[in-house]
Amino acid sequence: MFHWLEKNPFFFAVGVFVVIAYAGVVTVLPDFMNSARPVVGTKPYTVLQLAGRHVYIKDSCNACHSQLIRPFKSETDRYGMYSLSGEYAYDRPFLWGSKRTGPDLMRVGNYRTTDWHEHHMLDPLSVVPGSIMPSYKHMFSNVADVETAYAEALTVKKVFNVPYDEKGMPKLGTYDEATKMALAEAKPIVDDMKNPEVKEAFARGEIKEIVAIIAYLNSLK
Amino acid sequence: MQSSNMINYDYSVAKCFAIATIVFGIVGMAIGVLIAFQMAYPELNYLAGEYSTFGRLRPLHTDAVIFGFILSGVWSTWYYIGQRVLKVSMAESPFLMFMGKLHFWLYIVGVAVVVVTLFMGITTSKEYAEFEWPIDIVIVLIWVIWGMGIFGLIGIRREKTLYISIWYFIATFLGVAMLYLFNNMAVPTYFVAGLGKWYHSVSMYAGTNDAMVQWWYGHNAVAFVFTVPIIAMVYYFLPKESGQPVFSYKLSLLSFWGLMFVYLWAGGHHLLYSTVPDWVQTMGSIFSVVLILPSWGSAINMLLTMKGEWGQLKSNPLIKFMILASTFYMFSTIEGPIQAIKSVNALAHFTDWIPGHVHDGTLGWVGFMIIASLLHMAPRMFKREIYSKKLLEAQFWIQTTGIVLYFSSMWIAGITQGMMWRAADQYGNLAYSFIDTVNVLHPYYTIRGVGGLLYLVGFFMFSYNFYKTMTASKAIEEEPQSASPMAA
Amino acid sequence: MEMESIRELQAYGYAFASFVFAMILYGYIYHLYTSKKKGGKDYEKYSKMALNDSIEDSPVEKIEPSNEDKEER
Repeated sequence: MFHWLEKNPFFFAVGVFVVIAYAGVVTVLPDFMNSARPVVGTKPYTVLQLAGRHVYIKDSCNACHSQLIRPFKSETDRYGMYSLSGEYAYDRPFLWGSKRTGPDLMRVGNYRTTDWHEHHMLDPLSVVPGSIMPSYKHMFSNVADVETAYAEALTVKKVFNVPYDEKGMPKLGTYDEATKMALAEAKPIVDDMKNPEVKEAFARGEIKEIVAIIAYLNSLK
Repeated sequence: MQSSNMINYDYSVAKCFAIATIVFGIVGMAIGVLIAFQMAYPELNYLAGEYSTFGRLRPLHTDAVIFGFILSGVWSTWYYIGQRVLKVSMAESPFLMFMGKLHFWLYIVGVAVVVVTLFMGITTSKEYAEFEWPIDIVIVLIWVIWGMGIFGLIGIRREKTLYISIWYFIATFLGVAMLYLFNNMAVPTYFVAGLGKWYHSVSMYAGTNDAMVQWWYGHNAVAFVFTVPIIAMVYYFLPKESGQPVFSYKLSLLSFWGLMFVYLWAGGHHLLYSTVPDWVQTMGSIFSVVLILPSWGSAINMLLTMKGEWGQLKSNPLIKFMILASTFYMFSTIEGPIQAIKSVNALAHFTDWIPGHVHDGTLGWVGFMIIASLLHMAPRMFKREIYSKKLLEAQFWIQTTGIVLYFSSMWIAGITQGMMWRAADQYGNLAYSFIDTVNVLHPYYTIRGVGGLLYLVGFFMFSYNFYKTMTASKAIEEEPQSASPMAA
Repeated sequence: MEMESIRELQAYGYAFASFVFAMILYGYIYHLYTSKKKGGKDYEKYSKMALNDSIEDSPVEKIEPSNEDKEER
């Protein structure tokens, strides 16, 4: 039997496949329903926050910052309450990261402000002496892609039944409504900021990447 | 002797991929050295505006070395070993020749698109699976073409039984195909919503599930790109170069099935203390330790192949590369399980010890094996002797020094940082702010950068040696049976 | 289905399959190491495939297109 397998490439390949696929079937599949249930109070991202999340992904913030607080006293002291599975129910993709070159950001919205982020993104050293984080100046000139963020929100609503437009949940509406809401949401952030270029652009109806990413970071609680 | 009238093995595809290996190796490693120095000297982030920040370059580095350097190396050796152990030439089948060339050129196109999109910041954020769906489709296409090449060649073979290297190549093909497909399941948003960027997609999995699938992929992509095909290389090139048969062919078969079965269970160790179910974490931890057995089975088999022939280690630098590679394989397959023990992981996770571990596997084991394989193939592909033995010796020591600097500095950095994060003063308050734990790492980041630079320098020496072998070295009449000829 | 019963099925499936795989593996080891004595295969001869791999070398086991299946055992 064994030798037969060794000279029949097709059945050999099938055998290898069964052996390697087996672990995935047992470990990965069964828990899908269980951990997908959101914790009470967890809400999907608004369109502006989602646009900010795209900026976060575009510049691979997750290469250096984790979003996963492990249940140790040293971590909860530093970053706040440890992470629960249901808190990630609307995270597509997950952004746990694998390296903490910089601190964890899971609950950064609890202890940093718009003003802090604005200065820090422009010149990290001015806020945190000794920081090795690069400046992300280009976020002040690039325009956030609200359209793609809206497309993503609509997609997850339609395909995965993410509860947009439901009671107590963020409103999505049509694309026109969504852009108006994004502008309204961006307004207080822009008001808190000092950069004239960002303010001018906003007066023209443009949302810069920095505004979107601050909206996202402020929402992490 | 066979009645074959003047058929020769056809290495044209193997040569193309060998050159691709070198080019992508230089690019990937150079970016690696740059981002290593960026962590010590952040001013280096501003060489080219937003396109040279750490965030943009880091995925480019990992993907360039994994999917550029290593995969090209794997394919180059496949198109070489495959023909030889199946005793059939690609020239015998115009179809397979065509598929081989199509494989190469489609791959080059794919790489070019990947480089551009990653610079632009078009990424899904999933590690080693950053590509958006249109690129994924191209990758699947490339993979299918390779698969047709493998099974096509097997279909017209003269050797009835498949050599162990072929087993490992088949496993690479199947494993990566399965993992890649499942991890990259995503819904293109444009086709549902009708607006936004056409290439954008959203993951089919959310949160914890996404993490589980990603690390089931991430861990096993390591298995099927850094381990499985490299074992295929060592099982062919070490016996061939030394003229010694594999110490125990039976052990090689056993290790194969052991590795196939155990490796896939261990992915959970990337998610210890996270929100994935406890039993997945525990299972990941346990299986990581069990994984030592099949890994060491192969490695010990390699070392024992040299039994009674250790003198070759002195006379033949290629043997030296391969034996050190096997040793680094043993080293990183014991280090990995140690890091997967829960209490060690609590300290090591998120620190620089992890990149340290990855690099003693990739630089020591994968890099050295690919370098040795290419140099073994060169005299046989180009019918010339290896250009310089001296250069090769010097390269060996420079690169080995580089690796030692790399992993030793990252060990210290990782453990220091892990300890500082958890250190508390006498009242139980945190002893250090986060930035303290960053600033203390500066010297280690610098040493790591130097280590990487030494490895890159060695790689340039290798590239020069290979280029000269290709173009200017002394021609050889007959193909050498074992040890590769080289000029002093 | 309830999570509880999924867990239970998972545990049974896992235990059963682990047992089967382990038995196959031991059977394989037994097969490998007794095959030569019983007059079957000598597995070590396959390591020659890497050493004698010139296109003119004769294969360790040649493919006989006519009676491929009868040739073994």
